[in-house]
Amino acid sequence: MSAEVTLENVWIRFGDFVAARAVDINIRQGEFFSFLGPSGCGKTTLLRAVSGFLSPSEGRVLIGGKDMAGIGPNKRPTALIFQNLALFPLMTVWENITFALEVRGVSAARRRKRADELLELIALPGQGEKMVDELSGGQRQRVAIARALAAEPGVLLLDEPLSALDLKLRQHMRTELRDIQQRVGITFIYITHDQGEALTMSDNVAVMREGVIEQVADGNTIYDRPATAFVASFVGENNLLRGTVSAVSRAAVTVDTGLGAIRARAADSGGKGSLAVGDDAYVFIRPESLKFDEEKKMDNNISAQIHQQEFEGSFWQVFFSIKGSERKLKLSMVNDGSAMSHQPGQRVTLGFAPELAVATPAGPLAAE
Amino acid sequence: MALVRHLQNFFRRNGAALSVFLLGAVGFWILFMIVLPQLFMVDFSFRVNLPPPKWGTPEHHYTLEHYRYMVYGSAGSESSFNVIDLQVFFKTIVAAIFVTIFDVALCYPIAYYLAQVAHGGWARLMVLSLIVPFWVNEILRAFAFRIIFGASGVLNKGLMALGIIDEPYDFIRENFALYAGLGYAFILLMIFPIYNAIESLDKNQIEAARDLGSPWWRIHWRVVIPFAKPGITSGCTMVFMLTAGALAAPQILGGPSSLWFTQIIYQAFNQAGNWSRGSAYAIILLASCIALVLLLMRAFKVRLGEIAR
Amino acid sequence: MIAALREAVVRGGLLTRIGLALFAACFFVYLFGPLVLMGITAFNSSAFPRVSPWECFSVEWFEVLRNDQTLVEGLRNSVFIGIGVVALAVPIGLAGALMLMQINQRVRPWYYTVVISPILVPGVVLGISTLVFWDRVGIMFNASHETFFYNGFFLTIVGQATFISAYSMLVFISRLQRFDPALEEAALDLGATHVQTFRKVLLPFLKPAIASAAVLAFLASFENYNTTVFTIVSESTLTTVLASKVRYGINPSISALAVIIVVVTLLGAAVFEVVKRREQKAARESEKVARGEVPARARRKPLLLDPAMFLILAVFVAGLGTVYFAGTVGVEECKAAVKEEKQRVAQERVRKLQQQRMFQRAAPVAGEGEGEGGSAPAAPQAQREDSSGFESIFAPQNLKEQVESGPPAAGTESFQGIFAPENLESQSGAGQ
Ligand SMILES: Nc1ncnc2c1ncn2[C@@H]1O[C@H](COP(=O)(O)OP(=O)(O)OP(=O)(O)O)[C@@H](O)[C@H]1O
Ligand SMILES: [Mg+2]
Repeated sequence: MSAEVTLENVWIRFGDFVAARAVDINIRQGEFFSFLGPSGCGKTTLLRAVSGFLSPSEGRVLIGGKDMAGIGPNKRPTALIFQNLALFPLMTVWENITFALEVRGVSAARRRKRADELLELIALPGQGEKMVDELSGGQRQRVAIARALAAEPGVLLLDEPLSALDLKLRQHMRTELRDIQQRVGITFIYITHDQGEALTMSDNVAVMREGVIEQVADGNTIYDRPATAFVASFVGENNLLRGTVSAVSRAAVTVDTGLGAIRARAADSGGKGSLAVGDDAYVFIRPESLKFDEEKKMDNNISAQIHQQEFEGSFWQVFFSIKGSERKLKLSMVNDGSAMSHQPGQRVTLGFAPELAVATPAGPLAAE
Repeated sequence: MALVRHLQNFFRRNGAALSVFLLGAVGFWILFMIVLPQLFMVDFSFRVNLPPPKWGTPEHHYTLEHYRYMVYGSAGSESSFNVIDLQVFFKTIVAAIFVTIFDVALCYPIAYYLAQVAHGGWARLMVLSLIVPFWVNEILRAFAFRIIFGASGVLNKGLMALGIIDEPYDFIRENFALYAGLGYAFILLMIFPIYNAIESLDKNQIEAARDLGSPWWRIHWRVVIPFAKPGITSGCTMVFMLTAGALAAPQILGGPSSLWFTQIIYQAFNQAGNWSRGSAYAIILLASCIALVLLLMRAFKVRLGEIAR
Repeated sequence: MIAALREAVVRGGLLTRIGLALFAACFFVYLFGPLVLMGITAFNSSAFPRVSPWECFSVEWFEVLRNDQTLVEGLRNSVFIGIGVVALAVPIGLAGALMLMQINQRVRPWYYTVVISPILVPGVVLGISTLVFWDRVGIMFNASHETFFYNGFFLTIVGQATFISAYSMLVFISRLQRFDPALEEAALDLGATHVQTFRKVLLPFLKPAIASAAVLAFLASFENYNTTVFTIVSESTLTTVLASKVRYGINPSISALAVIIVVVTLLGAAVFEVVKRREQKAARESEKVARGEVPARARRKPLLLDPAMFLILAVFVAGLGTVYFAGTVGVEECKAAVKEEKQRVAQERVRKLQQQRMFQRAAPVAGEGEGEGGSAPAAPQAQREDSSGFESIFAPQNLKEQVESGPPAAGTESFQGIFAPENLESQSGAGQ
């Protein structure tokens, strides 16, 4: 019953405001797919277009290969888990769970049975008679999932389902969600602005900015090979050096920064405007890729002054000031037991491998 | 075109059955209960007074006679004004204004007390007890005032026992009973809007003003009253309209020689059998009340949207 | 300096508080005084509703009330009309509120103004417009006078529902503002049709509002007078009957009706309070259950077994019993005593008068016909209030007033219209 979801050149406008801009996405059946993006970038809006609560101003939504135009939310093989869960407060847990069956006219006895099965699945056996407000946050969460699953949807849509939970419960629910997805095998479309959540759980992640899809890829690719400056700056921590492209080779570009020429891998922009000589470019280096390199053994070297060091148990974080930039560079290294031999104020040379640095065309960055 | 699209949307959103119910019920209400009856009444007020069988015949033509009558009286006395009706009309409006003012003065402190000073179970009890008298119907309330103000009523008895007066004072003839009863009748409609408004005022604002050394009257004048203005306005509007349009209290408590304007309307309908004139008078009452309310609202810079919430 | 200022402020606050409390006390006296006094008159056996002179504690006026056919019929009609208004105004109010939530932003203020206007339009105007409108519609259809266009019940229900629908709409609006629209979407998303969503999600949520709107509508209809008096045509309702009774003569059975209404209201308020407390308690409990502090309780105690409820009922029954007992036992004896006392007073006065007259006859100038007003000094005036039966005896010019203020008391009927002084002797003799 799992279904594939395709968005073809979807535009969504509210008056003059564009909430989704030329969105093209293909989500395979049985996939765990996440939308990641800052608040207000249009994630919920896209999800509502898939579930049928709004129709795109332009473009098509296909589910299981079928065009969904003119098909209402109650006729689509989707089930949505709302940002605030939207459990029915006047029904018991089991009535909530089997609401989808009730409206199809399934007999009470069979509904009871199904409810018990689903309660088993979400690890709440025997809690069917409770009212919804007698459940804890995590339990409500699971009831919402069971209620959606009872509808036997081809696609389950989840809109930041874990945002209301505390950290510990959230981590627990992540594994549980992933588990459930693997067990029932249907397509999950998941919205979050928590990157950890998106990267650990998903087969594929779409990163959005202001209604535009910046990149669609699996978690590793998003992290290691961001396609745009926005993705690089939004996902994880990244050091940024600004400059101009001075040379382009097959796999690498050379960028002139104020700290000298730096070689880096060119971002895979998917054919759209790759870097050429003379372009403004950003070079991103992850804190964990930056090393102390007094002997200048690495291909890229920059000189910096230690500003501050922080000890975080298993990690050391070191911050450097560099010439011509307000931003501090950050280096993080595993605490291997050897004491830190540097002092604040000390001048050092840092190095990094060109394969671990990414050069993207200059563009908007994520807000700090 | 846009209407068709809206309708389509509406039907899609609510489904056929619900849409038909919504449109039908609201349509019936607006059309057959609110708008058309008022229009028919307006139309009727401009027609000559005829017995029902002749309604709608050519004889039943338009005329301004009923409105003219209100001002000049019957055709015979063309030159002079219709002193009786005009006097009653203005007395009604002015008295309604005074009753409204009396009610604001009475209810504002109470509403303030309930909303800001009293708290806990005590406040709840008071609010509840405010409502109780108003379950009792309007006529019985007026009756209670008659018992108090009657010639052998409690008030006269009390005053005579105290030696303040030595023969019963006719409170009814002097309209004391009427004004006390009218003031009483719509207290609730004054208190609750003001109470609701003041309740949402942050106590800290009052305390801040007090800390700055404002005397209590200035706190009210500058902080509480401006904040409660929508509530006060909506209370005043309702009390004024209802007082001017009251019928039961004047009928029961009014002195034998004084009339309320609604009583004249009532007489036109039930005694004179002149529906057209009754309609015309009703429209005059309605229009003047609305005009007055709008005028005052403009004077006090309150928008219509703020009222009736 | 600052301390002094602060103290002044605090003292000012205290003074304001005391002033306010006093004001509130006066206010509540104004609010309840009339009702309390009216309530007292219901138990006074005096035929005219009054507090003093107190005659006998009696419940006879409740009996009179029960046997008053016009009132009972009016009551029946009022209930019927009330039900009709509920059936019409609650669905309309509901539709009006749902419409308001969906209607186009630009049209909304207009729509709101139109549907809320019946609340502000004087009831008299609503009654007239309803009457005129349906009358003319009836003529358009050439309907006979037996059709509903001219039926007092129909007209009254429609006329009252015009503004009561707006009341019930306000009730629904305030409830709908707390409705999470995501619930509706969730139901649709789970495959419910629009009708199912309405029936299974929105309607249960609105249930309490439907109940309160219905109660409100019924009460508003029940106590409406201004509109009804025009639309009722030849029928009657409780309010129209009451109004004509009150206008053309009063007796304490009307006070008795007020007592019943107040008691029912107080009872209702108390029960409402208990139910509300229970609900709050239940909410707190389920919160505790959610936090895992206590296990879920299977069933709540039924309302009637609630101690508070029980107490209310007990107080009510006990009060009713006491009043009934006190108001029936020994009343006849008391009334007989009062009557005797009255007659004694009357005789006393007659004797005095006779003495005076004899004294006057002895004197040369005496006006036969109108002598009593001027010559019988303060005594009759002061006595006037004691018994309505005597009010008109001595002063013919008082007759008018007496008719105005109420019908003659049944018990003292024999004294009616006796203002010819020469009759006095024989009358009081008959009374003995
Ligand atoms: N009905 C609407 N009318 C007008 N603008 C809207 C409407 N719904 C959403 N928007 C706008 O569209 C943009 C995207 O909203 P959306 O709810 O999709 O954000 P989101 O990515 O889900 O944000 P969050 O992470 O905070 O939930 C926002 O700027 C929002 O203001
Ligand atoms: Mg969102």
